[in-house]
Amino acid sequence: MKKLGTMALAALILGACSQQGGDESAADDAASAPAADAKSADGDGGVVQPPLDPYPSTYEPYAAGAVLITGATVLTGTGERIDDGAILLQDGKIAAVGAAGAVIAPEGITTIDAQGKWVTPGVVDIHSHLGDYPSPSTDSTSDGNEVTSPNTAHVWAEHSVWPQDAGFTRALAAGVTSLQVLPGSANLFGGRSVILKNVPSRTVQGMKFPDAAYGLKMACGENPKRVYGDRGGPGTRMGNFAGYRAAWIEAAAYRKKWDDYATKYEKWAASDDDEEKEKDAPEAPGRDLKLETLAGALAGDIKINMHCYRADEMVQVIDMSREFGYKVSTFHHAIEAYKVADYLAENGICAAMWADWWGFKLEAYDTVRENAALVHAQPDSCAIIHSDSDIGIQRLNQEAAKAMGSGRRIGIDVTPKDAIVWITANPAKAMGIDDQTGTLESGKMADVVIWNGNPFSVYARAEQVFIDGALLYDRDDPSRSPRMDFEIGQLENDYTGGAGQ
Amino acid sequence: MSASTMKNLTCIGIAGLVALSTAAAQTTAIMNGEVHTITGAVIENGDVIIRDGRIAQVGADLTAPAGATVIDASGKVVMPGIFAPISTIGLEEIGSDAEANDAGPKSGEGFPLSAALNAVDAYNPSSVLIPINRAGGVTRAVSAPEAGDKLFAGRAAIIDMTGGVNSVMKPDAAQVVMMGYSGARRSGDTRMGSWATIREYLDEARSYAANPNDYVRRTREDRFALSDLKALQPVVDGTQPLMVFINDANDILNLIRFKNAYRLRVIIVGGSEAWRVGPELQAANIPVILDPMFNLPAQFEDLGATLENAARLHEAGVKIAFYNPQGFGAYNLRLLTQHAGNAVAAGLPYEAALAALTINSAEMYDLQSQLGSLEPGKIADVVIWDGDPLELTTEPEVVFINGVRQDLNNRQVMLRERYRDLSRGDLPHAYRGGE
Repeated sequence: MKKLGTMALAALILGACSQQGGDESAADDAASAPAADAKSADGDGGVVQPPLDPYPSTYEPYAAGAVLITGATVLTGTGERIDDGAILLQDGKIAAVGAAGAVIAPEGITTIDAQGKWVTPGVVDIHSHLGDYPSPSTDSTSDGNEVTSPNTAHVWAEHSVWPQDAGFTRALAAGVTSLQVLPGSANLFGGRSVILKNVPSRTVQGMKFPDAAYGLKMACGENPKRVYGDRGGPGTRMGNFAGYRAAWIEAAAYRKKWDDYATKYEKWAASDDDEEKEKDAPEAPGRDLKLETLAGALAGDIKINMHCYRADEMVQVIDMSREFGYKVSTFHHAIEAYKVADYLAENGICAAMWADWWGFKLEAYDTVRENAALVHAQPDSCAIIHSDSDIGIQRLNQEAAKAMGSGRRIGIDVTPKDAIVWITANPAKAMGIDDQTGTLESGKMADVVIWNGNPFSVYARAEQVFIDGALLYDRDDPSRSPRMDFEIGQLENDYTGGAGQ
Repeated sequence: MSASTMKNLTCIGIAGLVALSTAAAQTTAIMNGEVHTITGAVIENGDVIIRDGRIAQVGADLTAPAGATVIDASGKVVMPGIFAPISTIGLEEIGSDAEANDAGPKSGEGFPLSAALNAVDAYNPSSVLIPINRAGGVTRAVSAPEAGDKLFAGRAAIIDMTGGVNSVMKPDAAQVVMMGYSGARRSGDTRMGSWATIREYLDEARSYAANPNDYVRRTREDRFALSDLKALQPVVDGTQPLMVFINDANDILNLIRFKNAYRLRVIIVGGSEAWRVGPELQAANIPVILDPMFNLPAQFEDLGATLENAARLHEAGVKIAFYNPQGFGAYNLRLLTQHAGNAVAAGLPYEAALAALTINSAEMYDLQSQLGSLEPGKIADVVIWDGDPLELTTEPEVVFINGVRQDLNNRQVMLRERYRDLSRGDLPHAYRGGE
């Protein structure tokens, strides 16, 4: 019973279920419990659940004809490289990938001769603030960091995302097809992230990656103590940890309260005892947005994205995750990941890194250019290159190239087929969308980039970008180059802005 | 000849002497490389002879002088060292750490001086940023202050990247001022305020120059510190370049009028919309230091930002160089080659990109007779790359500054070596890899 209750709670906190789905599952529960049926007829709506997905994705792939891309060097994102390869996109999905001769396409479909070009999965950025810190950057649009309390687990990044941010278009022109928008790092708990498909829409709901789990942004080290040191704390790293732990204790209690309620409700609903049935249904606990998010993280339904630069702090966080029984998905900005790459691999935690940014604060002083490659070199590791920048997101391929080159210089065997994983499959895995995107495998979303050359060259550019099979960016076709509202009609109409600007 | 020019010459003389003393009797022959002289044609199997800190000979089929250290550069690229045209190198160790950041007065504190601030007073040649960026092929840099609450930031210095005690090559190389939105923010939040203020500064500086004794005795509004006005003298007499942070095309047109009216030497920094006024900039002989990777309407003054800025300015005949605006890129001057590669991908001719990394910076600061190309007589800042310097996976193999081969070891390399092996070992990591 207890276990079932936990699962029910898990389902309700997981953003993956749509509102409708949630109602259906509640109805199913009722059907299997005749007593509850009777209660429902009396006006009882079944077990109370906070809305599962109150701002559901309305994203729908755009129409896409079948396309065969052939003759290219294909990096699959699974660690494979196919020279003279081909990929077939059909019905928005990848239908086949393989050697050019081996991929059989239906007669008469669009065929792209991609000789001399490279094809990769769409790029995935696990750390972006697009939409929350959009262009233009003004007080009016600065919506990325709820710097009002050390714990703002109740805020959701999607409520700040301005879908008209021109940065989305620039990222698209750089091959980015999915991204996670995170709240800023001022707070111990920054709030929920949102995962988007990089398809322009009037609404953020129209961009939301269907059924993607939520993430929770947390921050180690300098930022929270700097921001709150003279505002009631935390003022130290030990204060940071005390803050996390107190919040986890509260979240565990909240989770138990809801689990207990679900157990009690089920018992009541299933009861054959007339006296018991006469009583009112057990009352649901009050909702708390902050604790709802934290409880979801404890349940494993919300993925923890922990901004953490220093090696020693990462290992302390790992211990804390054991203390409270949760899992850290990814350490972001993991400048010192190379110092504890073994710990990260053993605990199945990804490290999201820059290739060479460093020094802007003391906890960023110790980077090495081989950081990603050293993390990669560990068995069962998960190295990710992230941007945290509206400029950097436009060249994640270049960042991966630099990190790859530095690794090779010290004898780490890493080539483009491996390094592409750092900006595609690994971030997708860390974000929990790897069953749908991040690699070129049959059945996955046709999120595909055609580069005009080796994407690990500084001279390469994304030429065509497909999302769910739809050609949404084409360097040579202005009609396939999105322009945001803000940019239209500027500079005496001379200038058009747009993705390839 | 003004006093400041005199001082500059003296300084170059000293730097030259230092180079001579350390590089004396050192002769190096770099043989059979792909030599990019920058000012001449590419020499496919080229040789560069370095003697006594200077480039002695450049050409094909040269003979290595007897006793010379010979470096076989076949399959390698030989070019002048990268000259970073603006940075906070040596001023900023840790950006957000007040104690380790001398780049400028902290904003909001109302510190009274501005133009008088001088990078050489804070320049730290022992900064770990120097060897890290030297290993990336950067051999010269402008070390420039960052503005606090006032328009002017102060005086920039040109340094070599040896990290040596005599590594300041040219103090007082330029004055830095914030205009455009950055200027407006410091002038009552309006561009009118910034133009009125900068004119007033220069008028006062001229008034002081016309009769210093009278100016000091005369009753006047105490608007500007005397030391700032004194520091602006080489700016108003047109000998010292004024580095102007500015982006918007209309602001730039105002700057051209202002430059002509006051007969100034101007270098634009930023210039995200400079391409819109390329012909005007060319006619006014104003070079632009830009970030070729910047393409967002980040502020209203950047609406025209485009990856093609560099290519379009070059096409218009405007001299360009690159910077990395992240903290002026002090941490990653080594990425200027990546910036240049991106400019090439957006249409800038390859050789123009190499020039933008070398000779153009030298010309902006009147050092083209000393630096920026591989020509006999010039200071031997030479880098041998293991491939295309603009590519992402290439690196310098050998770096010469003042004709002296440089140590490419640095703190990041040492940290990497320390932690390559994460096993417990016989002793803790603190005992490893520090050599």
